[in-house]
Amino acid sequence: MSAFLYGVSLQWKLDIRSKSLLVTCYIVPLIFFALMGGIFTSITPEMKHTLIQSMVVMGVSMGAFIGLPPSLIETYGSDIKKVYKANGVPLYLGLVSMFISAFVHLMIMCVIIFLIAPIAFDATLPTNIPLFFAALAIYIAVSLSIGSILGLVVKNQAKLTMIAQLIFLPSIMLSGIMFPINLLPKALEVIGKIFPASWGYQLILNNGFQFKNLWYLLLVIFVALMLCGLLLKRQKSN
Amino acid sequence: MTNAIQISGLKKSYGNHTVLKGLNFNVKKGEIFALLGVNGAGKTTALECIEGLRKYDNGNVTINGKMGIQLQSSSLPAHIKPMEAVKLFAKWNKTQIDYSMLEALGINELKKQYAELSTGQKRRLHLALSLINNPDIVFLDEPTAGLDVEGRISLHDQIRKLRAHGKTIILASHDMAEVEALCDRIAILNDGNIVFCGTASALTDRISKRYAIHIKTEHGNEIFETDKIVDMLLTLLEDLKQKNVEVLDIKVDRGTLEQHFIEIARRTEE
Repeated sequence: MSAFLYGVSLQWKLDIRSKSLLVTCYIVPLIFFALMGGIFTSITPEMKHTLIQSMVVMGVSMGAFIGLPPSLIETYGSDIKKVYKANGVPLYLGLVSMFISAFVHLMIMCVIIFLIAPIAFDATLPTNIPLFFAALAIYIAVSLSIGSILGLVVKNQAKLTMIAQLIFLPSIMLSGIMFPINLLPKALEVIGKIFPASWGYQLILNNGFQFKNLWYLLLVIFVALMLCGLLLKRQKSN
Repeated sequence: MTNAIQISGLKKSYGNHTVLKGLNFNVKKGEIFALLGVNGAGKTTALECIEGLRKYDNGNVTINGKMGIQLQSSSLPAHIKPMEAVKLFAKWNKTQIDYSMLEALGINELKKQYAELSTGQKRRLHLALSLINNPDIVFLDEPTAGLDVEGRISLHDQIRKLRAHGKTIILASHDMAEVEALCDRIAILNDGNIVFCGTASALTDRISKRYAIHIKTEHGNEIFETDKIVDMLLTLLEDLKQKNVEVLDIKVDRGTLEQHFIEIARRTEE
């Protein structure tokens, strides 16, 4: 256990030293929050009731789909994997430690939004704060599990950038965080439902923590974690 | 002396390309054993099959002892510091850190992140990581590749010290001079086969008489190959003197590794 905990705490430190994670988990989501928070609440004042929820979904999606996978490729698409394998470090360590570390970083970013939004934009706090954070934790875990698959499947950074955008952009545009989902054409509304962001957003909203918003996320994380296990097994046997 | 490693009939193919065609050799406990071959000869594949990092198609590999492995192409996360890597690997191997070993390799003084280390510092760090679990057998794949002269000498000293501590060392290299200087026994891998396996002196006896004399004169460059270096040099110089040809440069070498391999393979076939 000591080795595992050391691995996780070390990954936490490495992520802080890595500028790319700082950019994708903190700087860009918080700048986006600073700009869009002002724009949203000026154009549509009632958006202050959902500002925190929409901004955390955006920030988490960015960190999980764009921030995590490159770190995974650095380990699993390079000789680091072989060095670990050759020297008695289990292959799962990289994935699990990066997952946990990114989870903590994204949660911190969300807490910053949660604390600043009411002061800066007069945003309304969630009515049930424990449930808000429980729902948020579930959405972060689901998003990171998808980011993990990307990092384990895609072998080079250029391809990854393209594929990550194919997941990130529809997640943001079609999830209802920018504008109400019922304003979208039916086809786009259906496509939006494929991406966990729309489910995560519904789950995080006030009174949203219900099974009808939860089941899809549980299904996605279950399938994603199984897939990660299989991908790691394949990496091990290669 | 008992064997640390026993290899018999080791075969490995990638698709239709057979890289290892049935290797047979033993490595004795406490010796430095070299697997020598040109780039692409299959040294790394052979080592990785023996280390258990790569599946092989056929044959038997017996390892008598704990292994430590330094790979040819090694890497670590860009932002990790050497001592952090050492601690991580030590914890997973459930072993105490040997600070004297780290000091000998100069790891303690490395404070930069991995990406900022020089090639030599990275090599030393990976050597230290391969020694973390106090192995009986140490695998070193091209340990001095990319190092300057000073770095090579320092690493050679470390390798000799490891042997003095009773470790068995098997190293892969394409540098004939390096293995001659370091190793007790040498196996030459050529085209998927071991074409020579024996002591360094036996290898020297077999190939050292092949010299190439490069003479640069005002008329151009000429290369003369010979088994009798002194006689040939004297004859050539006398001839040039009589013809009053100005000698601009003379270089003597022992031929390329490839030339020696071809020669060894030819003699083996005979």
